[in-house]
Parts: sequence; C-alpha cells; structure tokens
Amino acid sequence: MNADMTRKSMSVLVVEDESLIAMNLEMILEDLGHSVIGPVMTLRNLEKLLDGDFHADAAILDVNIAGEPIFPYARRLADLGVPLIFASGYGASGIRDDLAHYPVVPKPYTELDIARMLDRIFPA
Amino acid sequence: MDFGELFDALPSPHMVLDRELCYVAVNRAYEQVVMRSRDEMIGRHLFDLFPNDGESGRRLRASLDRVFATGETDTLAYIPYDIPRPPELGGGMEQRYWTAVHTPVSGSGGSERYVMQNTVDVTDIVRLRQAASLPFRRGETQLLERAREAEEQHRALLTESAEFRRLFQMAPGFFAVLSGPDHVFTFANDACTRLVGGRQLIGKSVREAFPEAEDQGILDLLDQVYQTGARYQTEERSVMIRDLDSGELQETFLDFSYDAIRDGDGNITGIFVQGSDRSEDVRRQHRQRLLLAELNHRVKNTLASVQSIVSQTLRSTPDPAAAKRDIGARLAALSKAHDLLSAQEWTSADLGEIIGQEVAVFDPERISLDGPRCTLSPRSSISLAMLVHELSTNAVKYGALSSETGTVAIDWREQPDGTLKLSWRESGGPPAVQPERKGFGTRLIESIVSGEFGGSYEPSFSDQGFSCIVTVETAVLRGADSGT
Repeated sequence: MNADMTRKSMSVLVVEDESLIAMNLEMILEDLGHSVIGPVMTLRNLEKLLDGDFHADAAILDVNIAGEPIFPYARRLADLGVPLIFASGYGASGIRDDLAHYPVVPKPYTELDIARMLDRIFPA
Repeated sequence: MDFGELFDALPSPHMVLDRELCYVAVNRAYEQVVMRSRDEMIGRHLFDLFPNDGESGRRLRASLDRVFATGETDTLAYIPYDIPRPPELGGGMEQRYWTAVHTPVSGSGGSERYVMQNTVDVTDIVRLRQAASLPFRRGETQLLERAREAEEQHRALLTESAEFRRLFQMAPGFFAVLSGPDHVFTFANDACTRLVGGRQLIGKSVREAFPEAEDQGILDLLDQVYQTGARYQTEERSVMIRDLDSGELQETFLDFSYDAIRDGDGNITGIFVQGSDRSEDVRRQHRQRLLLAELNHRVKNTLASVQSIVSQTLRSTPDPAAAKRDIGARLAALSKAHDLLSAQEWTSADLGEIIGQEVAVFDPERISLDGPRCTLSPRSSISLAMLVHELSTNAVKYGALSSETGTVAIDWREQPDGTLKLSWRESGGPPAVQPERKGFGTRLIESIVSGEFGGSYEPSFSDQGFSCIVTVETAVLRGADSGT
C-alpha cells in the first residue's frame, strides 16, 4: 500500500444506490488518498451532474441503480473520456457488449480490489 | 370354345411357367402389367427377365417350389417386387407391390408340369393403405399375410391394429409418419396435430403443411435422414410454429427424432417422427435461472452491506466489545427486514411493520407508533429498517431510552403534496446535545434520507430530548420512482 501513498490523488465519481455500500466505497477511496465525487445514489442526480460542468479522473459505477441499468449514463461518461470501472453483484456477465471491455470489480470488494483496479487504469 | 382366347382375354394378369421356371404362356393383362410383350417372355426364364436377389426373389422362388413339391395352391398375399422399366419408358427399376396366387397345372403324366400365376399389381392399394396405416410397415405386411390364412384371425388383428392406432393417436408424445422423398404425412397423431395448431396434415408434404419449417433447416434434416438413413435426434431444439389465429410465429422447444423407415429390401421409404413438446419445462428452467441469478446478485449485495457495516463500525467504535455489540445489532436489523420481505415474497413491506419490528425489543409502554398503512419497496424497506435501527440505537445510548422513564413517540402522515412525513420525538430523558462529530449512524441516516430517497432529514436537539423529522416522496418509497 505504501506505493499508493506516493500516487497522485484522483477525483473518483462514485455511483451506488445503497447507502451502506456507498459509504464503504467512499471510505476506501479516501483511505487510498483520493477524493470522492458523490456518492451519487440516483440516476436523476447523476443526470444533473453530467449536465453541469463536470470533471472526474475515473468513475466507479454500480450497474443497477434502483432497478434501472446504468449503461446509458456509462456511455455518456465514456464519451467524455472518463475511465470506467463497473461494480456488480452479477459479475462481468451483466455488462452490455459495447461496454464489456471496461473492468468489472465484483461485489463485495475490498480496498485492495479497488486499489488494483485504479492501478490498472493509471499504471504508475 | 377356344380356351386359349379365353385365357388371353382374362382381365386379370395370368402366366404359366414350366418346371424350369420358363414362360409357357402369358395373357394380355400380364403383358401390360409387366410392360413386356409375350415374344420377349415365352421360353425365357422368369428370373432372367425379372431378377431379384433380395428377400422377395427368395419368397417367389420358394412359393413356386412349394407348388411343384406339394401340388397345392400357394399364395403370396403381399410381395414387394421391383421390375425393370423398358428403355423406351425411361429404363431403371420400378417399385411395385403384388399379390400372387400360384396354382398347379397337371400334365398328362399326373405330376405337376406347370404352375399358373394369377398376379395383381397392388401398388396403388399399398400406397393408399400406407396413408391410413399404422406407422409400421412390417406389421402391415404380416397383417396381410395372416389375413390370407385365417379370416377370423385377420379380423382379430384388425381390431388389435385399430387399438394400437388409437393408442398412438392419443399418446402424449407426438408421432408422425412421413412417406417418400417429399415427406408426405401419412400418419399424425393428435399431439402432433395439436402442436401445429390443428392444421390438416394427412396427405400433405411437410413443405405444404408446415412452410415455416423450411427456413429453420427442418426440411434439410428430413432430406438428410431420407438420403442417408442416419437417425437424427435433438433435445430442446427451438422451433418456431406459426399460430394460425394470430399469424405470429411462436417459439416452442421440442425433443424429437427422425428415423428412416425401410421396406423389406432395406430401401428407405419414409421417416418416422416422434417427440415431445418441452416448452413448459424449458420456460420453467429459464425462469429458475433468472431467479438464481437475481438471488446471487442480492446475496452479493447483502454481503457488501455486511462488509460495510463491519468495517465502518470497527472504524467508528474503537472499543472491541462495543464494536462487536454494534455489529451484531446492525446485522440483526438487516436480517429482520429481510424476514419481513421474505414473508411478502420480496414484493413489499408495510412501514408500520418495519418500524414496529425494530422497536419491538423495547418496553411497549415507552414507545408509541401512529400512522396509516404505507407500502414500501424492498429497497426502501431495508433502508428504513436501518434508519430506525440507528435512531433507536442512539436513543438507547444517549437519549430517552437511556433513562428509566423516557419515551419515544413515532408517527407518520401522508402530506397533500405527495410526501410522507415521519416524526421521531423523544422526551423524558436527558437533554439532547448535538454531537461534535457525526458518527456512523448519523451519516448512514443522512445518506439514506438525502442520498437514496432525495428527501430531507431535520434533527433537533433540545432540553426535552432528541427529535427529528424525515420527509420523503411516497412514490420514491413505493419504488414507483427511482428517486430525486
């Protein structure tokens, strides 16, 4: 983990509709020295955020927000050039084909899982 | 009277062979039916003109031998016997079916010198009978042969065959017999007819009766079986069948097999189709797979919630004993909410029940609940259960329930603007003081109310004790809306 301390701090968008899980991810990211945008817990708030002046170095997205798939918003984020990580209880099988090349971190995940994912996106 | 002329004029085909099986006489009807002139036949050997190395050839020779040996009439009730087609009619062999009666003709010395054959070409009748027969040709052959021997037995067998036919007709699996290279339906039982929506099958080719089969490779499969004789078998194959009322193609899942039907000489004459409609089973399995995937997803999410409870409680509660107690209590709250949802098959829960269950451990004299029925989605149920759990935990630790006499009044009302207003009022305990640092419980409450529900959370700390008002859109709680 010491290597991570020297990494630059990123701003990471978190989209997760369950408070307990969102709070845990927020804590993990802060422990890793990153700042959190959100957690955004509804698609309506996500839409508002995307419509505004928005910047993130990466986004960690739950695939299902209150029963709605995240994919249309994931595509918008991808179009903005934001690297995506999907977090899913369905595993990799639940990701739409055109987004299937983005990494998936299966739930439940640990701090190490998240750190490794971010390392894959931004190698040291 | 000229018996020669009479013989020649007989409408039924007749011919006479000597002991060497060479033609001695033929009549006009015989010439016609075998497509040969008498000049070609007289003096020639029967098997030179009509060779047959198969079972039919052996049967014909055996019958003729019997007549010469016993001096008694011998009958071949049914014999497939292909004959050469003259070159001017296209050449090759022609498939024929015959009935033949062989009668001895005594010569002057008393021994049997000749045998007279009266033969009838029954090819057309056989084809007709096939169209209305059992799916087994061999059974029918035997049936015809025995019929010659005993009329009574024949009738018994006919009854038996009718019985078999009825069994096939009513069997739960589907059966059909297809005849010839165009796969003409000569038999189809009720299940088969039902499968294709009651359409008329008998006498029609598969292409005519079931045109949607062509694009699905079914005709290719049938052709292949007809050409190679190799069995085709499949399980749960998706077959689209057009619904005749709506005109729509509907997906069915079928187990079925195609087996070649062969005649006595081993030639393929048709295909026996049998199978069963597995659509219901396949759909049930599909639903089960979806349910399992959903269950797996839910379990993974719940494990993620548990993980969060554990790590965050450990972080915010330095004393291991207190952390252990708090973790246990939070998991119990999560578990109880799951129980309520399970009782409703994970469709919904009632707000009053969710709150009542969470405060059930306290003295009922000190807790009051008041509010109408209010339906919650599964997600909202779990979130509100956690919220009420955190409020009660705080009340026990610092608020009204930490004293001997304090009380909590909980009530909720639906407002005209479509929101639900939930109020939690503590009294009789120590004065409430706003904590300097927000604990895990308070952060969880705020995240649930503002983050998940898009509502408002207004706590107030006074000398009377702690109270708060939670305001949330009822549509969001019911899950009709994905939140603000």
